[in-house]
This record gives sequence, C-alpha cells and structure tokens, in this order.
Amino acid sequence: MTSEGPSAGPGTRGAASGETAPAFDASVAHVARVYDYWLGGKDNFAADRAAGDQAIAAYPDIVFSVRANRAFLARAVRYLAAEAGIRQFLDIGTGIPTANNTHEVAQDVAPPSRIVYVDNDPVVLAHARALLTSMPEGSTSCIDADLRDADTILRQAAAALDFAKPIAVLLMVILQHLDDDDDPYAVVASLMAAVPSGSYLAMTHPASDIAAEEMREMAQRLNKLMAEKVTFRGRAEVTRFFDGLELVEPGMVRVQEWRPNTEAEATSPAALWCGVARKP
Amino acid sequence: MSTDEPRNPLPGDSILPEPSAGPGVLRLLLGTQLRRLRETAGITPEQAGYEIRASRSKISRMEHGRVGFKQRDVADLLTLYGVSDDLSRSGILSLALQANAQGWWSKYGDILPGWFEAYLGLEAAATLIRSFDLQFVHGLFQTQGYARAVTVLGHRSAPADEIDRRVSLRMKRQDLLQASNAPLVWSVMDEAALRRPVGGHQVMLKQLKHLVDVAALPRVTVQIVPFRRGGHAGAGGSFTVLRFGQPDLPDVAYIEQLTSALYLERRADVDQYLEVMNRLSAEALTPIGTIRFLKEVIRDT
Repeated sequence: MTSEGPSAGPGTRGAASGETAPAFDASVAHVARVYDYWLGGKDNFAADRAAGDQAIAAYPDIVFSVRANRAFLARAVRYLAAEAGIRQFLDIGTGIPTANNTHEVAQDVAPPSRIVYVDNDPVVLAHARALLTSMPEGSTSCIDADLRDADTILRQAAAALDFAKPIAVLLMVILQHLDDDDDPYAVVASLMAAVPSGSYLAMTHPASDIAAEEMREMAQRLNKLMAEKVTFRGRAEVTRFFDGLELVEPGMVRVQEWRPNTEAEATSPAALWCGVARKP
Repeated sequence: MSTDEPRNPLPGDSILPEPSAGPGVLRLLLGTQLRRLRETAGITPEQAGYEIRASRSKISRMEHGRVGFKQRDVADLLTLYGVSDDLSRSGILSLALQANAQGWWSKYGDILPGWFEAYLGLEAAATLIRSFDLQFVHGLFQTQGYARAVTVLGHRSAPADEIDRRVSLRMKRQDLLQASNAPLVWSVMDEAALRRPVGGHQVMLKQLKHLVDVAALPRVTVQIVPFRRGGHAGAGGSFTVLRFGQPDLPDVAYIEQLTSALYLERRADVDQYLEVMNRLSAEALTPIGTIRFLKEVIRDT
C-alpha cells in the first residue's frame, strides 16, 4: 500500500488551470543528481556531472564517502528495525532512489514498517512516488516539504505515522544544506520534540575536521555550482544535534566506525560524522 | 508501442543503421560494453583475440554486435579485462545469453518490422521502462479490443488474419508485466489518450477499467497529465527511455516513427529525452492522484 500525505494528489500544486509547472532546470547542478552521479547512477545531467567532477578533483574520496553514507543508512535502519524494534521511519532528504532504500531495509526486517519520505524537489518526489513502493503489509508515502519547515513535515507525516508510538527520524547528509542562519539545531529539536520517548534520531553530516583542506575546497566549489549551499561541520557541532538524546554505541563516530559489517565498510575513506541516538 | 503520426525527433546519432535491426541491439550494447572494458584495461584487439583463440577482426565484429557471443569467450574476455566481481560478471554473461536467444516474437517475423523487433529485445532486457504516450494508451496496458482498434487504424487494408496476428503479438508482449523479473514500467500518458474513444464507447470503457487494474500492479506506475495543466514538456510526441541493470550500459531513448524508429544511446541525446521525461513526471498527477482521476474519467465515459 502506498499512501500520500494530505497535500499530495491531483491538487498538490493547485488544481486550477493555468498553474505553473514545478521548477526543474537540468542546466544547473542539483544536489540530488550530483549525489546520484557520485553513486554511479544514471539520473544526472551534464551540469551535475561537471559539478560532481569538480568536487572529485578537490576531494577524490567523495565517491567513497557517498557509498559509506548509503552503507551506514542500511546498517542504521537495520539496527533500528531489528534491535530497537522501530516500525515507523521519517526519512528527510530522500534523494533519487538507489539500492537499499530505507523502506526496503526496514521492510526486509519487518514488512509492516511505515516509511514517510520527505523531499523538496519535484523530480526527486516524482521518482520517489513512482519507485519507492511499499510491500503490501506496510506503507510508504511522500511529503513535499523543506527541512526548514518542520511544522509542515510533522503535520503531513501525521497522516501516515502514529506519533504516539516511537518514530526514527533519519537525517542523512542533509543538515549541511542548512546554514547557521537557518538555525538547524532548532529544526532538529522541534522534530525530536514531536516524537515520543523511545524514538530515535539517526544522522550523517559531512565533516569540516576530517580531510579538512580537501573538504573546504570541495565545499567552495560546490557552493559556486549548486543552488543548494553546503556548510560542513566539526565533530563538536554535529554532536550538539544530539543534545538531550542518548547516543547508542559506539557514539558519535566517523561513519565507517559505526558497527561496520565488513572490512571494506570499516576501512572505506569517508569524511562524515554519524550517530544514532534514543530519545529518553 | 502505439502507431502514431510521424514526428521530427531531435537530431542525433542512431545506434542502429536504419531498418536492418533484428535482435542485434542487445549484441550491440554488449559489444559496446566489452569494448569499453577492453580499452579501460589497456588491452589491444589482438591480445583479446589471442585470449579466445580468435582473430583481431573477430573481436571487432563482436564489439560491433555483428556476431553472437559464446559464454566461454565472454567469460575469458572478462577475466582478461580484470572484471572479477561476480555481480558484474553475471550481469554481462546473462546479457550475452539473452543476446543469443531467439525472442518469443521470432515467429511473428512476417509482420514484425526489424526496427520494432529490436525494441522488443530491449524491452525484455530493460530493468526500467519510462514512457510518455500522447495519443494512445501504452502498448503494454492495452486490452484486446483497444489493441485491435489501434491496429486496424494503422493497417486499414490488412486481411483479418493479419490483424489477428498483430493483436496477438501485442497481447503476448504484455506477459512481460507478469514475469518474475518484470521491469519497472513507469508510464506517463496525456489525458488525450484517455479521452479519445478508440474502438468506440464500450471498448474504451473496458480499456479505462483495465488501466486502473494495471496501475495497481506492484511493478507499474501510471501518471496522467491532465488537460487542465495546460501545455506540457512532452508536446513533441511519444517516446520511451529504457534503462538496463548493468552500470556501464547507457540508457536508450526510443522514438517511433511511421515507418521506422530512432534508437538513441549517445548521452547528449538521451539526456534531452530524460530531462523531458523528468519534467513530465513532475508535472503529471501523482500515481495515487492518477487512479482517482481515472475513476472520474470512467464516470464521465
């Protein structure tokens, strides 16, 4: 069963005639498509590949970093579903579907798992609605919203998720798109305030203090080429997102150090901090 | 695919020499991939030929999709090119098997133009089929009655038994949707395809109801672009973009014309079609909204 948030459906972008088409411009690099390019996907265009190559030239390990991020997502969701017993997931910053998407991992452990995907890009959402289809026992749905607008996310997610029961909030490589003026700590706090005790936060964040020179250069290049700007953060700044939560072992670590399954996962280069924490 | 008016597709390289296609598209894709792997490994055609006890020109013919592939040859070449992981190897080897196999459609050879036979080969090998249909319901979703009406439109002077065979070919093609390894079919259709009463009122009603059923299949996504959205990105005409599981294989854009078809695989060309397809998918009703919309259209029909 695939359901949608209350604003989805024919009226999503206004049912009246003469409505404007959603913004989509393949001539400017877009973060979701650049990410798809780094992952070896086929849903990217010349501008995305050019920006992706610029970033690779500054920090060649970015191609391993994005894979390490996906591997962490799979490990974290499996942990949350299998060991923490979580059956509801709020995955913000879905991106273009690839292998091991959140619902596939969660429903592999527990088919009735319910997943809400959130993104603010119309083409990403079209892909998500078409391709991220749930097993019949569970549900997947998609919300068109920006992370800065936690109220909209929470209001629409309530159509698919039961906020009286634990929910895992997933923020995988997305908080770097909020600069300090967006008050990212308040955004995360309001999301976690809305979920009950026993809920979880799982996060990855590009590091400013791992491969620092290369990462700074990559950030500068991406910020020239992409509409969505990036702000990389250090370990202490990323740890602050978990204030009031209990980090599960091994705590706030580099992404390859979080419960790796294989030697390859443990030794992959990646400049990402990550953590999984429980709301007490 | 539905028969449609001749169109003026974007200029670009066709990967097929005009109507001489045959099931060779898979061979061509496989050959292209083998050439890329060989060049990446820095191996000359002579060295590759030596490895499989063949000549340089045999390698060249293989890489141009002009000859069939022996499993053992492909396996030996992959080893020589340093392709060692099982996933890549098995993907390429299974492509080699498919490229050699005669398609189920071979017995329809008398009515099947080469340029369309090639499409059937690609369709069967694809993991994701994205199509935009402007005039007619997508061929994989047509009922027998609707398919018959469309076929008669395109072949007014054909004898009845030929029409029967054409319809039976189209129905047989739909087995793909039920296959265990069915591709994802992501179809965007203009509202015109729902409103044009092909075959008359009863045939159309049945077709619309069938579309609701098909849209519920787990491997199928249907999105309608309603008239009320005004002009849309796909105004140029119907087309299909095929994606294959192997990471190295390019997407192929397929554009049908009245007496032939274009197959584009050059990135710069395919990107333009993919971009339009993305726009259309974002402009169209969502999959859930589409089912509601279809039910409204059924009430009006």
